[in-house]
Amino acid sequence: MADYFSTWFPEGWDWLGWLLAAIIQAVLLLHVIAVGAVVFIWMERKIAGRIQDRLGPTRTGGKFGWLQTLADGIKLLSKEDLMPRDADPLLFKLAPYISLAASFTAFLALPFASGWVGVRLNIALFFVIAVLGLEVFGVILAGYGSGSKWSLFGGMRQAAQVVSYEVPLGICVVVPVLISGTMDLVTIADQQSGLFSNWLFFHDPFCMLLFWVYFTCGIASVNRAPFDLAEAESELVSGFLTEYSGIRWSLFFMAEYGSMFLVSGLAAILFFGGWNGPIPIFFWVPEGNFTLETLANLVGLGNFLLKAVLGVVVMMWVRWTLPRLRIDQVISMCLKYCVPIAAFCFLGSVLWTALHLPFLNDVMPMQARGDVREGWVQDIDNEMQQLEKRLATEAYELNSAVEGGPQQEAQTSLEEDAADRVALIPTPQPEGAR
Amino acid sequence: MEMAPTSGIVEIDVRTDEMLVNMGPQHPSTHGVLRLVLRTDGEVVSEATPHIGYLHRCAEKIGENLTPRQWIPYTDRMDYLAGMNMNLGWALAVEKLIDYDLPEKARHLRVIIAELNRIASHLVGMGTYGLDLGSFSPFLYAFRERERILDLLEDACGARLTYSYLTPGGATADLPPGWLQKLTGFLDQFEPVILDYHALLTNNAIFIKRTANIGVMSAEMAIDYGCSGPVLRGSGVDYDLRRDGEERYTSLYAGYAFEVIVEKNGSYPRDHEYPPVPSDAVLGDCWHRFYVRMLEVIQAIDLLRQGIEKYSQATGDWGTPIKLATKLPKGEAYLETECPRGQMGFYIVSDGSGSIPLRARARSSCFCNLSVAPELCRDCLIADVPAIIGSLDIVMGEIDR
Amino acid sequence: MTNFPLLLAAEINWHTVFFYLTSFIACGFALAMVVSSNVVRMAFFLVLSLAATSGLIFLTGAHFVGAMQLMIYVGGTVVLLIFGVMLTAQQAFISMKTKAGDWILALIVGGSLLALLTQIAFSVPAWRSSDYQARLQAEVTAAEEEIIAAMAADNRTELTAAEAAKLRPLLAKVKYGQPELTSQVGLGLVGVRVDKPELDSLGYSGYLLPFEIVSVHLLVVLVGAAYLARSKRSAVMQTPEGDAR
Repeated sequence: MADYFSTWFPEGWDWLGWLLAAIIQAVLLLHVIAVGAVVFIWMERKIAGRIQDRLGPTRTGGKFGWLQTLADGIKLLSKEDLMPRDADPLLFKLAPYISLAASFTAFLALPFASGWVGVRLNIALFFVIAVLGLEVFGVILAGYGSGSKWSLFGGMRQAAQVVSYEVPLGICVVVPVLISGTMDLVTIADQQSGLFSNWLFFHDPFCMLLFWVYFTCGIASVNRAPFDLAEAESELVSGFLTEYSGIRWSLFFMAEYGSMFLVSGLAAILFFGGWNGPIPIFFWVPEGNFTLETLANLVGLGNFLLKAVLGVVVMMWVRWTLPRLRIDQVISMCLKYCVPIAAFCFLGSVLWTALHLPFLNDVMPMQARGDVREGWVQDIDNEMQQLEKRLATEAYELNSAVEGGPQQEAQTSLEEDAADRVALIPTPQPEGAR
Repeated sequence: MEMAPTSGIVEIDVRTDEMLVNMGPQHPSTHGVLRLVLRTDGEVVSEATPHIGYLHRCAEKIGENLTPRQWIPYTDRMDYLAGMNMNLGWALAVEKLIDYDLPEKARHLRVIIAELNRIASHLVGMGTYGLDLGSFSPFLYAFRERERILDLLEDACGARLTYSYLTPGGATADLPPGWLQKLTGFLDQFEPVILDYHALLTNNAIFIKRTANIGVMSAEMAIDYGCSGPVLRGSGVDYDLRRDGEERYTSLYAGYAFEVIVEKNGSYPRDHEYPPVPSDAVLGDCWHRFYVRMLEVIQAIDLLRQGIEKYSQATGDWGTPIKLATKLPKGEAYLETECPRGQMGFYIVSDGSGSIPLRARARSSCFCNLSVAPELCRDCLIADVPAIIGSLDIVMGEIDR
Repeated sequence: MTNFPLLLAAEINWHTVFFYLTSFIACGFALAMVVSSNVVRMAFFLVLSLAATSGLIFLTGAHFVGAMQLMIYVGGTVVLLIFGVMLTAQQAFISMKTKAGDWILALIVGGSLLALLTQIAFSVPAWRSSDYQARLQAEVTAAEEEIIAAMAADNRTELTAAEAAKLRPLLAKVKYGQPELTSQVGLGLVGVRVDKPELDSLGYSGYLLPFEIVSVHLLVVLVGAAYLARSKRSAVMQTPEGDAR
């Protein structure tokens, strides 16, 4: 996008194009969080209502109360911004932004469709997990900075929870990385193209089990019931949120809903093929056709959003059904049960992959996994191909300048389809070929 | 709580600063205006001290200036979740003083109304206990059913919360025509729904984890502290005033077949389908107290079914209230009834000078039940405090009066 | 030092703008951390400073190291904040005043660390000479010419495996710095020296030994810290009446 915008501006001013592109991307991502939160809060109200034999909002904005969140937002904006006397003003005021910023930063590396990603990183998954862990810092600061004992309890609980769920979560995300051989989320998802049995969830039985461990830890990482110990309204009043009101309070909620979407989106990419539908319908799209590829990506975007939102819905369903766990039970569950299960699945998946054992994928007639590699490897491969062509041309020119040698053969082989040549991995040639 | 100061240096585990935290009176899970001062070390509560009196309304003093029938509305406001049972207790105490004989029909009417209100009360207890443990939905399910009970009670007496229906002498009005059919219809629909509650709470793995083996109270301790009702029976003490109470009270239930809900020889009386006791649960813990309440709902349904039959066959008067200015004979009367929350006693003293009693007093069940809280909350986690307090199912209106 | 004005006169582009921005944030919060006396605020500033440092690393394109910085240092500080500060905090920790002696000691230690880092920085060939890129390009060109000559001589259009293997790292080096380096370090840590295979035959174990020593050392420190944190104090309980609020 940035390259495209740069062409709009005269020489020397192309940075304006970069700026424009950066702003557009940032605003788009911010809207994923902001609008996402609006939609999710409405969904939460409706789902909670239906689960509890109520209707949920029905009036605001005509049908289905779809403007309810907007009304909530206006109410929150107009609320007085209170700060307790004992609070640490700096930390109290900054804490919500830290949470939101962490949530937003993680979205930078989350792809929404093949190649549609804010920043394509080779280590996107690692980056997302690292940044997601920072969100709790805001919570802990809020807990400390509020100058309230309930808030402090909330902050401490959050800290205790973080150190327990991050371990199994880390083990869980390693397995898809191991199978795909990359931490690039775009590549991981692209490799799962084809029939649904290519999804890593169906890669082997251990992955199937592992997904649930991941999802459990994911719920814990976004502080949703039954792991909402940091706010635990029946125990700690509202935990770290006790002293917050108005817009600061809603910033925490935006961060929470953002993280929920992020965790489900990550689950969709890691285990459920990301933007690949269960049955491939765009496999015929020729490479380089901008319109058709955009169309395919749009459908992929829909796929991805559907899967991610489904994950969020499951989280809501769980929240309105189950009682809350106790802090020691959360810790022991994460460390005593999730970690061994995840480690067991990790070993199982490794063995399954190493021994090439058959599973669902092998009994179904269909294409193989997408043959995609990490961004930079691909880049260098492409560059190598170009270099090879250039070198060959130069060598040919050198030759022809010397004697005007066998032009014909060189010409034809140059025009062979580059893809036919296995240039990705240098072909081992017998010594006699020289 | 004085502890003997021990001298000398002892090595203790990594300790954090002790904190004194106020839980309540404005706290979501202290069931009204209970104030608990918690001394915590990290998440561990080393001491919980309840402070009461935030809902004190001088009800007993007012009772010394009103005739017994006029004081009925004040009894409603004691245990406002089971107003009918409060009315009943006071009515029986007054009847005992003036030695009033109740017609048969009024007897069955009182059983029906009292047991119906017991269901409503236990539904709130169940729902709010779910809330205390962080499960929101059962609360609304419970209120959905309770709403229908309140509709029925409203049909009978015109009020939904503070009924003033059962008065000395009987009730203020007979049950309206067609009411029993409505009640039967409700019971038929309500009975299968209870299994849902069992699935959501009683049988739920997380619920069991949160309540089993928490706040364990031995039978001796329960008796020592004067606990009563489900709290006492949850500890395995076979005591129910409906069976073991005074003649004047038990005669209401004469002819009704019911078994006291208590664990005997490792099992509860089982004539209905309900979940088994999980292996983690220990007799006397929060889970058992909750379970007793849930089973009492089923028991109340049985009693209601019997009551409907007996009431429709009963002959005679439904019981006219005594005159407002009935002269009270010199003497005193004390009578305890089995309320949803336990043993509720009313005490009336008259010097025989008129229709206004010299003394009117109430013995609150929740007050005694709450007194166990400091003992049970010692060395538990903060999250267990709502679980324990919730399992005692207190109503502050009754404690503070 | 003679190059210093050059640094300012260097071409202003996005990288330099962001570099200065991020480094000012990092330095500013580092300074704020030193000056602040509230221990939680210190940790907060430290986290921001470390996060800005990871931003610097991201700017250089070393995403993995940047994410590592986030995960280990920033995440680690959070844990430090909790377990080191909040849980064991006594009253004195809430507000800390630095003594003059501490300042001097810190200046000496910090100064020598800075000198050491500067020394290391100037020993990196890519940073020492300004014509690094040019020399690298020259190296590539030389290799290319050699291969062209070979290809012309053999009259073929495809690279041999040996030539591809020679060009590939060079290309990666030009485009991405040294992408192979991380895995080399990782392998070196577990004892496989890719860069010096001749050491294998001599029985050297790479960096495994120092690595293990460091980890055992850390374990000892951990156990020691846990032991020190176990407080020995008289267990006289007090009555609960106090400053309940």
